[in-house]
Amino acid sequence: MDLVSIVLVGLPMVVSLLLLSLVGLVPAALRPRLAVPMRLVTFVVGVVLFLVTTGMFFGTLGEVDWLGIGFNTYVFEEQYTWIESLGVTWHVGLDALSFPMVWLTAFLLPVTQIATWNEKRGEVYHPLILLMGATLIGVFVSLDLFMFYIFWELTLIPMFFLILKWGGAERRYAAQKFFIYTFTASVVMLLGLVTLYFLQQPTQAGAYAGSFTGRSFDLVNLSEVAMAANTDGVFLGKTMQAVLFVMLMLGFLVKLPAAPFHTWLPDAHVQAPTGGSMLLAGVMLKMGAYGMFRIPVTLFPHALEQFQFALMLFGFVSLVYGAIVCLGQTNLKKMVAYSSVSHMGVILLGIASQQPIGYAAALFMMFAHGIISPMLFAVCGAFKHHYHSMEIGAMRGMAKHSPWIATSMMFGWMASLGLPLLAGFVAEFMLLVAYWATFGWWILGPGLALAITAAYYLWSMQRTIFEGGEATQPPAGMEGKPIPDLDTSEKVAMLILAAATVLFGIFPFIALDMMDAWTQAAFVVLFGGA
Amino acid sequence: MSAETVSGTGLEVPSFALLIILLPMLAFPVILLLGRLFNGKDWWRGALKEGGLIALPVMAASLIASLAVIRRFIGETSASATSTVMHWVNFAWQDAATGEIQLFSMDFGFYVDHTTVMLLFVASFLCLLINIFSIGYMNTDPVNDNRNHRFYAEFVLFCSGMLGMVLSDSFLWLFIFWELMGLCSYLLIGFYYERPSAAYAAKKAFLTTRVGDVFLVIGLAMLWNLFQPHAVGGDALAYSVVFDGANLQAIADAGKSGALQLALGFMFIGAVGKSAQFPLHVWLPDAMEGPTPVSALIHAATMVNAGLYLVARMFPIFGAEAMHGAFTDLAFLIALVGGITACMAALIAFVQMDLKKVLAYSTMSQLAYIFTGLGAALWLANSLDWHHDDAAHTIVVVAFGAALFHLFNHAMAKGMLFMASGSVIHEMHHAHHDVHHHHDHDEHHDGHHEEDHFDAQSMANMGGLASKLPITATAMLVGSASIIGLPLIGGFWSKEGIIANTWRVALEDPRFFLPAILVLVTAGMTGFYMSRMWFMTFAGKPKTEVAAHVHEQTPWIPIPLLVLIPMSLSAIVFASLEATHYLGDTGSHLGEMGLLDGFLYEMEHAFANHDPFFLVLTYIAIGLSLVVGPMAAMALYGGQLADGEEAKPWLKPFVSLSARVNKRHRFDNTALAEGSLATALQERLYFDAWYDAACEKIVAGFSNLAAVFDRRVVDGAIKGIESGSQSTSRQVRSLTTGSARDYIMMAALGTLLIALVLWGVA
Repeated sequence: MDLVSIVLVGLPMVVSLLLLSLVGLVPAALRPRLAVPMRLVTFVVGVVLFLVTTGMFFGTLGEVDWLGIGFNTYVFEEQYTWIESLGVTWHVGLDALSFPMVWLTAFLLPVTQIATWNEKRGEVYHPLILLMGATLIGVFVSLDLFMFYIFWELTLIPMFFLILKWGGAERRYAAQKFFIYTFTASVVMLLGLVTLYFLQQPTQAGAYAGSFTGRSFDLVNLSEVAMAANTDGVFLGKTMQAVLFVMLMLGFLVKLPAAPFHTWLPDAHVQAPTGGSMLLAGVMLKMGAYGMFRIPVTLFPHALEQFQFALMLFGFVSLVYGAIVCLGQTNLKKMVAYSSVSHMGVILLGIASQQPIGYAAALFMMFAHGIISPMLFAVCGAFKHHYHSMEIGAMRGMAKHSPWIATSMMFGWMASLGLPLLAGFVAEFMLLVAYWATFGWWILGPGLALAITAAYYLWSMQRTIFEGGEATQPPAGMEGKPIPDLDTSEKVAMLILAAATVLFGIFPFIALDMMDAWTQAAFVVLFGGA
Repeated sequence: MSAETVSGTGLEVPSFALLIILLPMLAFPVILLLGRLFNGKDWWRGALKEGGLIALPVMAASLIASLAVIRRFIGETSASATSTVMHWVNFAWQDAATGEIQLFSMDFGFYVDHTTVMLLFVASFLCLLINIFSIGYMNTDPVNDNRNHRFYAEFVLFCSGMLGMVLSDSFLWLFIFWELMGLCSYLLIGFYYERPSAAYAAKKAFLTTRVGDVFLVIGLAMLWNLFQPHAVGGDALAYSVVFDGANLQAIADAGKSGALQLALGFMFIGAVGKSAQFPLHVWLPDAMEGPTPVSALIHAATMVNAGLYLVARMFPIFGAEAMHGAFTDLAFLIALVGGITACMAALIAFVQMDLKKVLAYSTMSQLAYIFTGLGAALWLANSLDWHHDDAAHTIVVVAFGAALFHLFNHAMAKGMLFMASGSVIHEMHHAHHDVHHHHDHDEHHDGHHEEDHFDAQSMANMGGLASKLPITATAMLVGSASIIGLPLIGGFWSKEGIIANTWRVALEDPRFFLPAILVLVTAGMTGFYMSRMWFMTFAGKPKTEVAAHVHEQTPWIPIPLLVLIPMSLSAIVFASLEATHYLGDTGSHLGEMGLLDGFLYEMEHAFANHDPFFLVLTYIAIGLSLVVGPMAAMALYGGQLADGEEAKPWLKPFVSLSARVNKRHRFDNTALAEGSLATALQERLYFDAWYDAACEKIVAGFSNLAAVFDRRVVDGAIKGIESGSQSTSRQVRSLTTGSARDYIMMAALGTLLIALVLWGVA
């Protein structure tokens, strides 16, 4: 059975679309009654996805040896002709690069739903979350450039509606900015992909070449051709490789986002509902990093070497500048959003280091940030939900009044600032090792960022968790009301995320070993390691 | 004996060593969760002391397991024992020269040697005693009701961090547990989170140490890259690789010993932060915002020792033959930082009125002694030919051992001093409560409250407590004597060695005269501020009504004091077992020479050097610390107890002596006390003010600017493009007039244009 197409992509896609159209058919007055069954069905699908991917990890499904897949070979691979004349195929598969991201998505879907269990208009909200997950998984499993691009743009639609319908006061502006900004960058990327498509030699287009164009969108075949050409020459020539590299990277850098293309992110996050933020930070940003590894790094290693330093500068600025800007924020969620920019810089630095350990650090950072940042946004969401404010300092002394929010915040903040034995530290330390080897004294920048990261997190905790005492005044509009704490579903979500953070912090090798196997194989092929 | 013998002894650390770390670590969530569930229940408060009686057996089990590990190790008399628990991180590396992909790992395992043995004992032993003390201190104060579970949970996590750091077998895991302790100290310093001062102090402690940690982690990255070629298939940060003589030789041959010194120097900055040395010392005094057991735990017995431990761990690298003479600059830097801090902290301690703050600065000063001693020992190990010359070998190992033994003595004494100060504060607090209660009763009508103004920690409110708190006063006396260096007890055995060795290096390397003079002068200053503290607290007449009503209550507090008093007094036994030799020389056994010869051997090094220069020096140091300092303190602060108060016979001579000196030699120091130096010392030499101002003005100002820049310029550019395209489209749209005449005209113009273009092309 084609597990990936049918279960991982098809099932959530079909179920969510069916449910959404069902809501459309029902008269408006009856819709609220659908919230509970809709939530239940989508939640069950999410749990199924989680169980299936976890089964894949343990080898219960498919008996895969995740450490022995190699480079540009895939498991659960399936290919069907889609548009014959253009050489478009429905081509899916998993390897150690994409699988952690797929598992992460499947893990975050039910957790996100739990964290926002009682979101308003749940009959539309929960199916949209599921649709979001389906399109995200679609991006990670695509092995055809056309299909990749389709899913890449499809992810925008559910997120656009999540921001637009459930967002804050300026949601309209934020949703449009998010859509237009990333879409514009994607168009440049699309131009790059199409150019790449037409530059193929028809003789090398493989079995699925289009009957009309004689070329194919098949990424596996293309990678094969590029790898062969890159071993004793430069695939497509030095100039063309550089041009295409820049075009593709632009799309991915905006999505990541790297400074100075990051300004859509704080707006989108601040306006997005909690669930949207959790998936946006947890998975959607990683699409950019994943895309870099999957296409430009694989196809254009020579251009990568050429632009190594520029890429490092992008990462460096994102990391250091992002951290400094964090320190100047007064809005809690905006601070966390900028911290994402800062952490995404680590991924760029890992790629720029051109060391296997740097790649592994980047991959593990994608994964670790994917677990930690949803917790950060869940905390922000709970803060907003219960105190009706996002301003740092609106509520002090939470340790006394809302111990669960305070504990979750302390935990999430500490994980994000890279406390050892929590998931983020491993990636940071590995990165520093690789970074010093490649760039030497530039390491002082990331070092500075480490200190500033601690500063903004600690300073914000000083003004939220601590202080206050007996004289604590709840924020305006809440005088005289009982001071709230997390509700049960939020507690459960926090506990799950915290447990995962600890698990992958103490035993990082669970996920890291396969990432490392991938980078080893990649380096042998791309950079000629013996 | 030397670095070469460190690796490959083949001795295994028993697997139950994991329990030492694991038990307290697992107790953390248990206590936290139970506390959250059962807070307010009577059995939880009474029978389990809000988690204190869960922590107690856990820490006891940890101590027993530690003792078993230590006993087995000492019985085997081996240089070191190791065992790997798990391959933590596996990864690949592309060799820059060959392009080859090599495999590496970062592993977690145990490493036990003589230094480990000592620190493992210090940590597990003091953690248990402090746990007992906490039950007396924390659970009798209503302020702590329903939050003690948080204290005990964080406490056990803290202990597991310290024990893990001591036991782990690589610099990476040292750092991991080091950070875990950083987290716990943050949580415990901020235990009274509702006080802004505690929140501020917690943040300050974490951030200041974090600045050091950044350098430490960069140093580790450098170190990994240096040892990478020699650790293929293994862990380049493991002690067994880093200490290996052949690896160090290869690094020296490659001309990279300068890079190695740089890496170690960066790591040393981490130690400076963690051990509160100049210029990252500002967090320690503020950390007294935590409850007193936390001060005892973190700021005397365990966490601050982490930095010393890190530097001590570098000894095999400094001592390697391959690195001969390469690291003298770094050794000097370590000694210099120590010398400056020792003197500075002692000066500031002169004017502190808060009992715990005096102890905080005393901690800082004594840690600085150890740094100076380590610096001198590292210099000697790096410069002398101690692998082949027996005399040089003795000098090096005794210098190193003296520094480590001072760590031991200081930890025992300071743990006791902090607990004794906690006892004083606790009883002052309760006495104040009682007195205040009576007052309330008497002056019922005017509703006068002085609760908020009374400072139970200020020595200005104490005095004459020697008769009221006999056990506490004795503990305080023994602890102070140990810190001062009274012959034959505690710190005496190690401190004189540190001073002598710093001078020994100064004779070879004149740069060392600066730290050498500083530590010698500080010996006298130590005598002054420790005596001042004791006399202000325990001698003279009670300065307030509260102090007159103090008495010892709960049994949990004196127990650890009664255990630690003989511990400090019996340093002579450890010394006779040649502690300084054993700690410094990985090739030796404990008690090799027999007790009497061992005693004489240590005496020679501490007290009766054959070399007349060192003999004179030692007596100058003893004279300064035992006569000049305490006499000045007696003259200023001594005095007889109140009438009818009778101190215990062994305390009486001290009180009487102080009264006599005070009567005879009293001098007026008001001019000095009101001078600008005293003011500067009150303000802690303005370091805190400068740092705060720098953070506020530079860091916060710059980040606010960056936030504005991001909104206006970076996002502004995007908004500019957006509004630009909107206005363009508005203009384009204005062409769409809806009038048929305009359209026909435009179509005609367009056709004409196309025709022109076609004509041009053709």
